[in-house]
Amino acid sequence: MGRVKIARKSTFIDMTAMSDVTVLLLTFFMLTSTFLSKEPTTVITPASVSTEKVQETNVLQVLVSPKGQVWLTMNNDTSAQWSNANMRVALLDQVTEIYNQSHKSNPVSFNAQQKQAFSKLGAFGVPLRQMGEFLNLADEGQEGLTKMDEWLAGEDGNPNHITGIPISKENSEDNLNEFQMWIKAARQAGNDNLSQAMKDGMGVAIKADQNTSFEVVHMVMDNLQTIKQNKFTLLTALKAGGE
Amino acid sequence: MQIRVDFTPMVDMNMLLITFFMLCTTMIKSQTLTIALPTNEKVQNEENMSQASADDAITIIIDAKKKPGPTPGTLVVDSVNGNVVNEIYYYDGKPGGDAGMFGAGGAVLSENNNLKKSDLLSDEVNSVGDHKARGIREIIQDRNKAVLEQVNALKKDLADGKFGSLETKAEREEAMAKYNEAASKVRKDENLKKPVIIIKSTPEASYRGLVDILDEMQINSISKYQIDNLTDADLVMLDDYRKHHNE
Repeated sequence: MGRVKIARKSTFIDMTAMSDVTVLLLTFFMLTSTFLSKEPTTVITPASVSTEKVQETNVLQVLVSPKGQVWLTMNNDTSAQWSNANMRVALLDQVTEIYNQSHKSNPVSFNAQQKQAFSKLGAFGVPLRQMGEFLNLADEGQEGLTKMDEWLAGEDGNPNHITGIPISKENSEDNLNEFQMWIKAARQAGNDNLSQAMKDGMGVAIKADQNTSFEVVHMVMDNLQTIKQNKFTLLTALKAGGE
Repeated sequence: MQIRVDFTPMVDMNMLLITFFMLCTTMIKSQTLTIALPTNEKVQNEENMSQASADDAITIIIDAKKKPGPTPGTLVVDSVNGNVVNEIYYYDGKPGGDAGMFGAGGAVLSENNNLKKSDLLSDEVNSVGDHKARGIREIIQDRNKAVLEQVNALKKDLADGKFGSLETKAEREEAMAKYNEAASKVRKDENLKKPVIIIKSTPEASYRGLVDILDEMQINSISKYQIDNLTDADLVMLDDYRKHHNE
């Protein structure tokens, strides 16, 4: 009796096609991705039926935490003249000038290295008095950058380190708080496109969590109104279903 | 001799990279809501002050729902999504009507309290697919009837192709631009009777409530609205309302 011979087939599967597909997918994600920028606080913006798209360039974003701390992010044109790095330095110079006008006896100043560090920041927001110390951390390399993030998030455990730009409920045009100084500085920093966008209202965007109390949001709005920044936008998420 | 390269590790690595990029990307872009507020400066002469006639004015007050009981101030939180629950109140014209909220010596006149409570609800859709507005939306739509009728007529025109064809993307955009222009003309038409809405919010109410109400303005084609500060009369009315409704 002869045995039935079972042909032995190799279990080798050709993965070339699979590899092709994954590389294509990978390319797609690499090209479309915009990385989530690290923010000092995570907020969930409220849903709205508005379908207006958010501005990507020439916008100053005000991030508001439920506790009432504010941080700023500035996005400029992609042109070389008004690149983010150049504009940040211009902004820091401008805000220093405004700040020192009201603090003549005790001015603040930043050296070239600190300005360089500032130009690389994403979101920023520490009192100007502590800004120097904050920017010096950048010299420590990667470890320093982590420390900066922790400072901004209020998690570095040092009670003297304040995060958030000082802002106050009571404010007037003659006695600006630091938040108002930053907004003013951004208007005057020299990028006409940004100044124009801020005038039209598209240049200032408030990003706040949906459960932030009205008191906090109103404080930010009121501060903007005082320096005649009457038009601005609120960042929202698209509401499912619409009308 | 046949040369075969095993691509399995390559695929593994690619999958890992894809996972990384998928998790790091933000696909959905944020939307924005543009608002313009009046200047904070004191208006010097009466003429420059923007006045709303009492007939047209509706004041909407957003307040956070508070837990009843001996410790007032604790906010009610939605058990499903953890959001602060807001409540909507509104009144027509002046607080307390023409007579006002305060009697002789600053006494609160409860009988004059014209504050009413409403809800923030989306449309009710019946079995035929018709929309029916509810809550505060119904009230706003009722006041803004004259404008909404014309805007809805324009919307129908747009769907019927009276603003041009809707076939290609370019044509659609052109038609939309024409429609938006016509609609904004209707919204701002001085001859139509339309309400002026004053939005107020208590400090505890959440930001979401404000955005929701601003949305209602957009949905209901309200052209005149503003965000204002709470007055003493508003607070007195809220307190008085709660006292009388055991809340």
